[in-house]
Amino acid sequence: MSTQAVLETPAAAPGEAPPISLREAGFENPLLEARSLVKRYGNLEAVAGLDLSVAAGEVYCLLGPNGAGKTTTIHLFLGFLEPDSGSVGVCGFDVGRSALEARRRLAYVPEQVMLYRNLTGLENLEYFAALGGGETLSTERLTEILVDVGLPGPAVGRRVAEYSKGMRQKVGIAIAVAKNAEALLLDEPTSGLDPKASREFSELIETLRGRGVAVLMATHDLFRAKELGTRIGIMRHGRLVTELGTDEIGHADLERIYLEHMHE
Amino acid sequence: MIRHIVRKEFTDLSRDGRFRWCAAIVGVLLIVSLGSGWVEARRAEAAHSAARETAREHWESQGAKNPHSAAHYGIYAFKPRLPLSFLDQGVDPYTGTSVWLEAHRQNDFVMRPAQDATAGQRLGALTAAQVLQHLVPLLIILLGFGALAGERDQATLQQLLATGVSRRDLALGKALGVAGALALLLIPAAIVGSAAITIGSPGPAAPPFARGAVLAASYLAYFGVFVALSLAISAWVRSARTALVALLGIWVLNGLVAPRVAVDLSKWLHPTPSAVEFARTMEREIGSGVPGIERPDRGETTARLLAEHGVETVDDLPVNVIGVYLQESEEFANQIFDRNYGALWNRFEQQGLVHEALSVAAPLLAVRTLSMGLAGTDVQQHRHFATAAEGYRRDLMRRMNGDLAENSRTGETYIATPDSWAEVPPFRYDAPSLGWVLQNRSLSLAMLGLWLLGAFLVAGSLVRRAEVA
Repeated sequence: MSTQAVLETPAAAPGEAPPISLREAGFENPLLEARSLVKRYGNLEAVAGLDLSVAAGEVYCLLGPNGAGKTTTIHLFLGFLEPDSGSVGVCGFDVGRSALEARRRLAYVPEQVMLYRNLTGLENLEYFAALGGGETLSTERLTEILVDVGLPGPAVGRRVAEYSKGMRQKVGIAIAVAKNAEALLLDEPTSGLDPKASREFSELIETLRGRGVAVLMATHDLFRAKELGTRIGIMRHGRLVTELGTDEIGHADLERIYLEHMHE
Repeated sequence: MIRHIVRKEFTDLSRDGRFRWCAAIVGVLLIVSLGSGWVEARRAEAAHSAARETAREHWESQGAKNPHSAAHYGIYAFKPRLPLSFLDQGVDPYTGTSVWLEAHRQNDFVMRPAQDATAGQRLGALTAAQVLQHLVPLLIILLGFGALAGERDQATLQQLLATGVSRRDLALGKALGVAGALALLLIPAAIVGSAAITIGSPGPAAPPFARGAVLAASYLAYFGVFVALSLAISAWVRSARTALVALLGIWVLNGLVAPRVAVDLSKWLHPTPSAVEFARTMEREIGSGVPGIERPDRGETTARLLAEHGVETVDDLPVNVIGVYLQESEEFANQIFDRNYGALWNRFEQQGLVHEALSVAAPLLAVRTLSMGLAGTDVQQHRHFATAAEGYRRDLMRRMNGDLAENSRTGETYIATPDSWAEVPPFRYDAPSLGWVLQNRSLSLAMLGLWLLGAFLVAGSLVRRAEVA
């Protein structure tokens, strides 16, 4: 898949704000890319002609109400759903044709990271990291990763059945780190986390972004989106109704713009 | 990658208390059934061996008497137990393993109501075959129903597939994980079974390890069918609970419904007479003969012998008319036996074919037929033994009647010397070879192979199309 076309600003649909190009945002290497993406469930158009790209070192936050198409977009990037039209690319691989290659380069953290209750945190990480097919990491290195992402040392060897949601989310991030993923898909990752856990989670994402990972995060959390995102896209009825650079707006502006779009 | 999946599945299952309990119960039942089967087989073989020696001793020590009286005195023939018969008693408990050989009668030891017993009826007796055919598949279902549906329910399937693992590798890893957990149960049982065969091989066996290897392969194929079915259903349905219900439905159909249907359908297609009806028919035909099989007439026999020898009175005959007539009566009765028993055996075999054909709907029917065949306890091998025993009986009668005919004159009271009985060779029976069994069970082999192939193809197809969320 060519990465050239998305570097320029795509034309805006009538009545919609023009999207910001990667070049305008200061990035030139899109690792996640959707073009004219359409996904229908019967008569419902869950994703309606979405154009989106996320470059290395960028955090793109997708905001929108329930049913806006955020999770469907994430699942299309993962290749869990087949688009009715359009295409999805991950790290240069067309997901429709090379889903496995694409998935091997990304990591996914859902709203609730679900792990195997009978296995310890370390065993879960060993398992998911091994399935990723990347470099084989030693037990010591995997333990180090878990501790680095903020898991308390004694919890590493405990069964996941005893973990809180925040601890499971951290293991989810540890999986991404261990996999050395080039792109990260996050679907409401901080939902249900207490403020401290959310803050720690944001710091982990910042760290990954600093390592050049392209992050696409679907969220309801305007505050977190403003804090973490380099760009924000607001989705409604499957469409990207606006794209904003987070440097250009304050928290209050984001809330106002978001609510305006929700009440249109 | 598959190695990691197998290891994780194995670890996960081994830490699951439900699996540990189920596996322990099935394992204990398997080992107990193997042990009790072996002990019972040893006990039965020891009893047979003692009875065989006693019967022979009685035969040889029956003293001076008329050979026809000796023929009526009779002797028992015992079906030797093959080494694997302790695993699967098959029809032996219903047909019996011994037959009384005497003059004028082919004792009807196949005419038992239990010939038509269903798997359900036989569940009353715990045998290793019952555990392998019914409980191990149930354990596989309990291990496998959540393979994909459970991952979907817990939302781990998305995370798994997001790693880049292929569905094929995931399914294969899951299948091997279940197989690994099952191996924990089956390997000790196989060791116990092999030791039992090695230590206590009773009877003249066809190579027991060759039979054992084929039997093990048959059961492994049967378990493979259930592993594949569990994967297929788990991939197909939306939730683990639905998968469990669907798989339990398949288990009930396979283990309880199909055998009953097979029995009823085979009896309907190829009905057999009741024991009373069969006995009456035999009695009537032996009493009056049937067209083409005429009952011998002593007067006609006498006249023919006089003509053949060119003499006018029986006193001048070099043979005893009674001996010749008794042998002719035996041969007449043999034709009636062959006619009736032959038809009956053929009906049983046709019924067996219906069972084998119906295994297209239930793999249990195929593996059960193979299991009994390889253990040497199926109807066909019972027929093989019965035919050999009947051949011995006919030879014994021929000897007794020949002795009477050739060594005495008509009207004379002939008493054979006591050492005459030792000249009669003891009954020896060679069980059919493995090749014979496999040739006769080729339909079941093919059906089981088709089930295995089909189940894995279906599982592969459904796993490829399984929804992620």
